[in-house]
Amino acid sequence: MTRLNGGLIDRTTPLSFSFNGKSYQGFKGDTLASALLANGVQLVGRSFKYHRPRGIFTSGSEEPNALVTLHNGARSEPNTRATVTELFDGLQATSQNHIGPLERDLLAINDRLAPLFAAGFYYKTFMWPRAFWEKLYEPLIRKAAGLGALSTLPDPATYDKGFLHCDLLVIGGGAAGLVAALTAGRAGASVILADEDFRFGGRLLAESDLLDDSWPSEWVDRTCAELASLPNVRLMPRTTVFGTYDHGIFGAVERVSDHLPPSDEAVRQTLWRITAKRSVLATGAIERHIPFQDNDRPGIMLAGAIRAYVNRWASAPTRNADDPVAIFTNGDDGHRTALDLLGKGVPVLGVIDTRPDAPVFGRYKVFAGATVTGTKGRLGLQAIQIRQNGQATWLEAGALGVAGGWNPNVHLASHHRGRPVWDEGRLAFLPPSDGPKGMFPAGAAAGNGATGVAFADGMRAAQQALTELGMTARNIPLPHVTDTPNAQAPYWHVPTTKRAWVDFQNDVTVKDIALAHKENMRPVEHLKRWTTLGMATDQGKTANISALAVMAELTGATIPETGTTIFRPPYTGVTLSVLGGGDTGRHFRPYRLTPTHAWAKAQGATFTEVGPWMRAQYFPRDGESHWRQTVDREVQSVRKDAGLCDVTTLGKIDVQGPDAAEFLNRIYANTMATLKVGMVRYGLMLREDGHLFDDGTCARLAEDHFVVTTTTANAGAVYRHLEFAHQCLWPDLDVQMISTTDAWAQIAVAGPKSRQLLQRIVDSFDLSNEAFPFMACAALSVCGGLRARLFRISFSGELAYEIAVPARYGHALIERLMTLGADLGVTPYGTEALAVLRIEKGHAAGAELNGQTTAQMLGLGKMVSAKKDSIGAVMSRREGLAQDGRHLVGLLPLEPQSQIPAGSHLFTRGVAQTMQTDQGWVTSSCYSPHVGSYIALGYLENGHDRLGEVITAANPLEGQSFVAKVVSAHLVDPEGGRLRD
Amino acid sequence: MTDLIPLTALGATDLRSERLGALTIAEDDSYGLASLTLRKGQNAPTPFGLILPAAGFAAQSGRTSAIWTGPDQWLVLGNGQGQTDFAAQVLAQTPNTSVTEQTDGFVCFEIRSDAGGPPIAALMSKLVNLPPETYATGRATRTGLDHMTVFLYRREEGHLSVLGLRSYAGSLWHALATAAERLAQAA
Repeated sequence: MTRLNGGLIDRTTPLSFSFNGKSYQGFKGDTLASALLANGVQLVGRSFKYHRPRGIFTSGSEEPNALVTLHNGARSEPNTRATVTELFDGLQATSQNHIGPLERDLLAINDRLAPLFAAGFYYKTFMWPRAFWEKLYEPLIRKAAGLGALSTLPDPATYDKGFLHCDLLVIGGGAAGLVAALTAGRAGASVILADEDFRFGGRLLAESDLLDDSWPSEWVDRTCAELASLPNVRLMPRTTVFGTYDHGIFGAVERVSDHLPPSDEAVRQTLWRITAKRSVLATGAIERHIPFQDNDRPGIMLAGAIRAYVNRWASAPTRNADDPVAIFTNGDDGHRTALDLLGKGVPVLGVIDTRPDAPVFGRYKVFAGATVTGTKGRLGLQAIQIRQNGQATWLEAGALGVAGGWNPNVHLASHHRGRPVWDEGRLAFLPPSDGPKGMFPAGAAAGNGATGVAFADGMRAAQQALTELGMTARNIPLPHVTDTPNAQAPYWHVPTTKRAWVDFQNDVTVKDIALAHKENMRPVEHLKRWTTLGMATDQGKTANISALAVMAELTGATIPETGTTIFRPPYTGVTLSVLGGGDTGRHFRPYRLTPTHAWAKAQGATFTEVGPWMRAQYFPRDGESHWRQTVDREVQSVRKDAGLCDVTTLGKIDVQGPDAAEFLNRIYANTMATLKVGMVRYGLMLREDGHLFDDGTCARLAEDHFVVTTTTANAGAVYRHLEFAHQCLWPDLDVQMISTTDAWAQIAVAGPKSRQLLQRIVDSFDLSNEAFPFMACAALSVCGGLRARLFRISFSGELAYEIAVPARYGHALIERLMTLGADLGVTPYGTEALAVLRIEKGHAAGAELNGQTTAQMLGLGKMVSAKKDSIGAVMSRREGLAQDGRHLVGLLPLEPQSQIPAGSHLFTRGVAQTMQTDQGWVTSSCYSPHVGSYIALGYLENGHDRLGEVITAANPLEGQSFVAKVVSAHLVDPEGGRLRD
Repeated sequence: MTDLIPLTALGATDLRSERLGALTIAEDDSYGLASLTLRKGQNAPTPFGLILPAAGFAAQSGRTSAIWTGPDQWLVLGNGQGQTDFAAQVLAQTPNTSVTEQTDGFVCFEIRSDAGGPPIAALMSKLVNLPPETYATGRATRTGLDHMTVFLYRREEGHLSVLGLRSYAGSLWHALATAAERLAQAA
């Protein structure tokens, strides 16, 4: 055990957890990493490529090494950073990326084969034989590489989403962030303070400097208590703001219950979309390391992380309590760690300072002008080699802290492509001046990391942000702190001919960067792609700046000339489940039910998705073993007696106003203005480019009142089209329109006995052919005074009507029609029978109006009126369209029981089947009980003149070929007598 | 009077109501709805004595209320008029305007809190992307909720009406109830 005294852990709440099956103890307040260190565990994983033993490197979300899998089975969560995993009782973690025990990974052989895996190796090797790549090389490499593995099981956890708004979003709850939030909170602004940690305070929790003579954590607690008491402040711990989006919108994930044992009920994570008028970027800084030979052993960590483990978590970084800790630094900051270690009673080997004039701040040995040039210890650090004054000495050390300076955490400030700006004085990239609008970097994120400076900077940022909002924020008393020295001298890596790691997660070394340079992969983007530096879960948070400093040294350019790669969301990994918003399965997307849904369900109907709608597809009866039996019966019933079909899903748009008729005349290709009140007309709408857009009926209920119907698929699109035409093209027209699709339940009553059936429900209304002819419409009442609308229109080709009643009565109406029509043989039919009926009749539907077709192709070219203008009319007459000779025809396969699949292409019989000889395609296909054969509709070159010709329909995808006779598209009642009967 | 028995938007004979923590969500089919749009040059009428609201607001007078839905356009709600020809009544009050029946175009879910405004605001923050100031009493707006279009009408601090397309009633209920249930669970 290497647990120290003090720390911000709750020693009254011990917690048990397991790592690789072995049980350990920690305390509430621990992370998995701090608890492992307190138990003397340094080795936690294997590296990506070389399978080198790896330990905990950082104390935060930038961790490249300590990636573990939490939980097991469907809940297993790979690549979880132990450094930010809040410990709970019963937590189970396992290490990743090894075969056999972690200590004896069989794939460690890769380390011996390292020369094979130099930068860009997969671009150079495994190239031949070519066929081996997909079958052999890639699977092998994938198996050997990669870190954690997915369970491949559905995620059982629950996710949530939400929206928040505020005046000021403060990102990060350290010194600057807390002060910013308090400054704005006291000024009355609505404030959200988000921090990825489970405890606010940031680096304040990791340091030992007193604030106003009290411990930093005490000041943090007091500040948080005040913030919590302000109703205008929302504190969001365990919340990572992962992305800066447009217009002040931020993406954030709150880990609601990741710190508790997994449960089926509790929401695991919530995705928040935060809209903030202004933001303060107080994301702190990430320490960088100094690459040197063999610098990747467990026990070698960032010096600032060691300070955090010692001060906040009372965990020494060594395996044994009496192992000495060494510090390697290029500045004063490393010395702070040595002082804190001494303060906690941890033996300090000394501080190896690259500066010849290194200062001394306490009772520890300083190796001035020295570097670390080697390490030993297979599974954990045992000794380091110090080179000073040309002399190399091996000294035993249980841990080594490396301090190379701090990189402001500019990530979120660069999501809009603003490039960070190099500051030579601070040896750091600062947030760009052209960063996201309204974002104010503060504290360490702005390069002002010294505690006292960060406090003042947080207050300044909040005040500036609020001033822009017209609010005044007064100064708040800031705690007094004696700032520690923080001088540093640039020092980027210790030269070596062996491997010195820059990016631990991707096993990229200084040599790899040199190789990339040699191979001319010098721009940072190429460097990243070639070496994989900065990729994967940590996105190079501890590696990028060091890498480009090395590249700058090699090219002779400066660091700012070398530049950074682009930062993109997310800042840290975000589970896809939480991005999905939490709805899965049936509720993956909302769906619409028709007014007769419950009735159809009770009848045993099978349903099908039609856009968002669920529609009855067919209604099987006892004894029917195949859907075709059911559909054939339904079709025959309609042709012989009467059928009922819910057609509510078709769009209904109420169009009113003195100019309604003129408006519709311009919308429809055919004339609507001449339509008489009480009549319905079939209409075609064209797109601007002259192609068919939608078809449907238009009913005139009054001089200034029409009801336009659309296809189900285009209900929304047509309404939008109408609004566009009115608002943008003809705002002068006095016309009003609104969708009314859901208001009315509409039921098609089709078949020779439909009039007889309807006569039984209408309230003294004359349905005779004379009084209510084909294409008539009326507002009337049914079933004892219920307001309704009746349209005599037919999709099936039979005598048919559509009756509409307020949607709440749809269910009762269809029940009533079924009861009253029992003696007439009335039958409900679904979308399958609907389709068969209309294909038999040669009526167009979505397959014929697929966006590539014209009125002329449909045989309705004359409907595009030349007497008036309408949308698309002029373009429909352009050469390319007007000369298209393809026409809609019917097709009868010579073999009646073989179905020509829709999508098949049409060819003259006996001709080679090529793109050049292609003569059209099959749009719709079904079995026709009326004809007693499979039938199809299709567009055929010069089709109207080829009736009777036998052609070939080919489906080369499945090697099918059919011989079919070209017939009229209207296989039922081509004269239309039945409709008008 | 017809003898046909209406069904609720959720497909039952009885209205659904559920208490989830501090919130009660109840389906309400008692409103008659009609959309009202002015024609060119018309001044806003005052149907049933109602002063029609401006953008982002609703107004109420007696048993009638109205939500602004577009330029010169409102959705008029008549409490207790669900079974009547409410559009005809509105048209009688606003001659020569364009009135369209919408009674069954929308399902109405009434959400009431027994702890004032905060539970309503918490629920809203899980469902809709609206800044808190538009939650105030008397505000109404059309917005997206779980990929559906809805009207929200804050009738009182602790009372929110949600109107969604009737055919989406089941999905809308699911969205509202799930959010309320999670809030109750977290409380």
